Amino acid sequence: MSPVIGTSVSRKDGRAKVTGAATYAAEHAIADLVHGYLVTASIANGRIKAIDTRAAEKAAGVIAVFTHKNALPVFTPSNDFVSSKIYEARLPLSDDRIHYGGQIIGLVVADTFEQARCAAHLVKVDYVAQTPLVEAKNAIFREAPTMFGESFTFEQGNFATGDLATATANAAATIEATYTTVTELHAPMEPHAVIAHWHGTDSLTVYEPSQWVMGSQRTYAELFGIPLERLRVITPYLGGGFGCKVFPWPHSILCVAAARQLQRPLKLVLSRRQMTANSGHRSETEQVIRLAATTDGALRAIAHEVKSCTSPVDEFTEPCTSITPIMYAAPNLRLKQDLAVMNVGTPTFMRAPGENPGLWALESAMDELAWSLQLDPVELRLKNQTREHQRRGLPFSAKHFADCLKVGADRFGWRDRPLQPRSLTRDGKQVGWGMAAATFPGYRGSGSVKVRLLPDNTVHVLTAGNDMGTGAYTMVAMAAAETLGTPVETVQVEMGDSQLPDGGIAGGSQMTASLAPAVIAACQKVLKVANVETAQAAFAALRQSNRSAFEATASSAPGDEAEQWAFQSWGAHFCEVTVDEAIGRLRVTRWVSVMNIGRVINAKTAASQVRGGVIMGIGQALMEDCQFDPTIGCPVVYDLATYHFPAHADIPRIEVAFVGEPDLNFNPAGVRGVGEIGITGVSAAIANAVYHATGKRHRNLPLTPDKLVLG
Amino acid sequence: MNNFSYVRVASVEDAVQRAATDQAAMFIAGGTNLVDRMKVFLDQPSQLIDISRLELSRIEPTREGGLQIGALVTNTALADHPTVRRDYPILTRAILAGASQQIRNMATVGGNLMQRTRCPYYYDTVFACNKRQPGTDCAAVAGINRMHALFGASNHCIAVHPSDMCVALAALDAVVAVEGPQGKRQLPFVEFHRLPGETPQHDTNLEPGELITTVTLPPASFAKSGVYLKLRDRASYSFALVSVAAALALSDGQIREARLAMGGVAHKPWRSTGAEQFLIGKSAEEATFRQAAEVALQGAQPLSHNGYKVELTKRAVRRALTVSAKGGGIV
Repeated sequence: MSPVIGTSVSRKDGRAKVTGAATYAAEHAIADLVHGYLVTASIANGRIKAIDTRAAEKAAGVIAVFTHKNALPVFTPSNDFVSSKIYEARLPLSDDRIHYGGQIIGLVVADTFEQARCAAHLVKVDYVAQTPLVEAKNAIFREAPTMFGESFTFEQGNFATGDLATATANAAATIEATYTTVTELHAPMEPHAVIAHWHGTDSLTVYEPSQWVMGSQRTYAELFGIPLERLRVITPYLGGGFGCKVFPWPHSILCVAAARQLQRPLKLVLSRRQMTANSGHRSETEQVIRLAATTDGALRAIAHEVKSCTSPVDEFTEPCTSITPIMYAAPNLRLKQDLAVMNVGTPTFMRAPGENPGLWALESAMDELAWSLQLDPVELRLKNQTREHQRRGLPFSAKHFADCLKVGADRFGWRDRPLQPRSLTRDGKQVGWGMAAATFPGYRGSGSVKVRLLPDNTVHVLTAGNDMGTGAYTMVAMAAAETLGTPVETVQVEMGDSQLPDGGIAGGSQMTASLAPAVIAACQKVLKVANVETAQAAFAALRQSNRSAFEATASSAPGDEAEQWAFQSWGAHFCEVTVDEAIGRLRVTRWVSVMNIGRVINAKTAASQVRGGVIMGIGQALMEDCQFDPTIGCPVVYDLATYHFPAHADIPRIEVAFVGEPDLNFNPAGVRGVGEIGITGVSAAIANAVYHATGKRHRNLPLTPDKLVLG
Repeated sequence: MNNFSYVRVASVEDAVQRAATDQAAMFIAGGTNLVDRMKVFLDQPSQLIDISRLELSRIEPTREGGLQIGALVTNTALADHPTVRRDYPILTRAILAGASQQIRNMATVGGNLMQRTRCPYYYDTVFACNKRQPGTDCAAVAGINRMHALFGASNHCIAVHPSDMCVALAALDAVVAVEGPQGKRQLPFVEFHRLPGETPQHDTNLEPGELITTVTLPPASFAKSGVYLKLRDRASYSFALVSVAAALALSDGQIREARLAMGGVAHKPWRSTGAEQFLIGKSAEEATFRQAAEVALQGAQPLSHNGYKVELTKRAVRRALTVSAKGGGIV
């Protein structure tokens, strides 16, 4: 057998997806299904004075209308991430308070979707409205609470004594600048949807796009007080999650509660407008970066102060300072994060939470420092690499950041870069080159996998871990094929069902790092069970013995390696932009990304993941912006026509390469995952290229034509 | 449930007759905008009169040397028509700057004229909107009005017309033929759409029951220099922040004839006859175009978030005229 791991394999689920055969959550055919439609608040702060559901209840086909007046019983979950986790601590319809525009205030259930939607619009609400707070400039910021037990405040070196002067003494150059990002939406292609199917009052099947079916299973079990074994969560396919489909949102809890009350299978699909308020976003950020360096570019100090916003009903801090102690060595470090409560929906994890906006600020500031010192920004980064995680005091494992920079620079032709801004033109446009670093932690959870060999020479791999659309089905098949020495086409993979062995979470870019070692272990184990060396021998043994199958389940979990090593993936982006300055037209015309992610399992889907991240980053840099009406407080974007993300015409050819060796300190498969790193650093690379093109530094995203024209 | 009836008509007379007797009826052809609006309850017609099978899909030369375009010609067919490409490239470019291929395949000429603003305050019922519900308010005036009008707005409505094609038709002096209960009549293109005034619920000067049958282009030799420049937040599939349709006819470097219309700046395609008059007789050079852009933007009344449009539109006008003077092309 030639090796499978590391080759390019087209996704196994690709054909099912393009032909429509793949069944997404809202598409499961359940008999006697009824339909829900949400009623949402048209104010952003205040309370419900009166809610009149009579017309809705009388409307054709309506089965029930739920509001806070007849709120459905739900247990308060422990909500500690381990036993259970919901996105929004406030349970749906729990009182008459309105905390943000578009908040769920009711659910109408009817025989058809159209009847439910129509009746939802017949619900009349009287509010006592208060002035909403949706502008960060008016918000009160306080020190951010801890996240996963870690404080956001950290000081090291002379910063710890508050002595900025000493920290920056002998600095030849200092940079102090403020960088901002706006509210961004996950906007997955598949909308949020859920079907709740009760079998009696103590047995439940939930179909919903979940990045973590086992977590959802535990959470619904707590919410509804039923045993785990009577609760099944099914997510065979997921049309994009980006962090907004990990835990139940209020609409899912409400749907499941209503279905139990009605004893009917109930489907609830959110509109894009409803998703804007009720399925998370990335908070706007304001970040101040201060850098101090010697003449030759050695950093003496990095200070990173961040403001982000959360909702009144849950706390989420956009953890931008997570990257600061790991990117560049500096004897003096200062990190600080503040958080304000505003009348906006609950923000949450969105592709590279923290790393993405954090690197926007830090990598822009590094570029500013390079220009002020007249140093090559690639050289500046090479010079300031750190071998260790400066907060944890641990060495990085299998770090090849320098190779990313060097290989990227070579592939892009960086050394031919004209040194001065505004020195390159083409067809009457300014041309600029920019670069920035990328990074994302290596996360890994425990994963379990069952492998079954059948006499028809097929291999079946089963796990509850799921494929967000990223290629996990194919990755699992490849790891199994390689270990068993069978063609990848003979491996059939079942994923995304909580009845299967716990495959962990498809979040934090960790599905591959969690599952690949488990797949390998289970395949090795099944050969032992069969007492053979190869799958072919096992198949032969099956046929001779009339056994129906060989089967084995194995788990793989992190050990104490995180006490010895810091695991982090690295990358570098290089890009070219053109700016038609007179009319404010910015185009990204060329892109090279080089990534160091440990072992690459599937070269094709890994590169696709990086490209997807770059595309999403181009969207952040150029156009994505969820604005809120300053008076009424509701979002002014309500669909994919008003929330722009890139069209094909915005995207150039994106060249992707990988460097480095398997990170075997991290896990036996040597993989670190690739889901999120692609988006990090992208917006900084673009703004840095725009500076090179025009001589104008942009520090406020997105770079829309109005900003480019008026600066 | 908002039930409605659906009828497919076989003649213009039948369509008009039905519309005249049912004020809540609406015509439907491609449905690319109407169906979207119905889904969010912006329109709740009693009856959909399907005109898509009427014999209004021809593009024919006129005796005067122009072109008569049936109201049911699809945007794609019009943009791709060889005569349009050759003699009215401004129109082809404007059409191709809008929507997506799939939408253009369905959307018709008449429907393009009838599409309504994409102002988010009109679409989202949490906001007051005089266009959606006359006599309430316009929340956009004190809201996020980055996309809104510079010209001809009122306190009642600051929305802009979304069409690209219509900006080109305004520049080309097209004539819209309609047929209604009172018979047939013709409207110059710039009089087809209207300003919001105190009645923003009305986008056009059509009378109840009137149906667009054709749009006629007069002959226009200058139109070969036509330019359509659209500036927007992404490279494709988004509405204009501002757009400019421009065409110049030159003799010995002197401007003999000029056309200039702007999109994304008013409740209707905004033809600047003032700038056109200014240009005629001047030499085709940067200084002239700069002054013409100033003339074109005279009277602009920016709102709280769209002040950038004044400068952006001036620059777009200058660029469009500059490219047009060089014989036109893609911008």
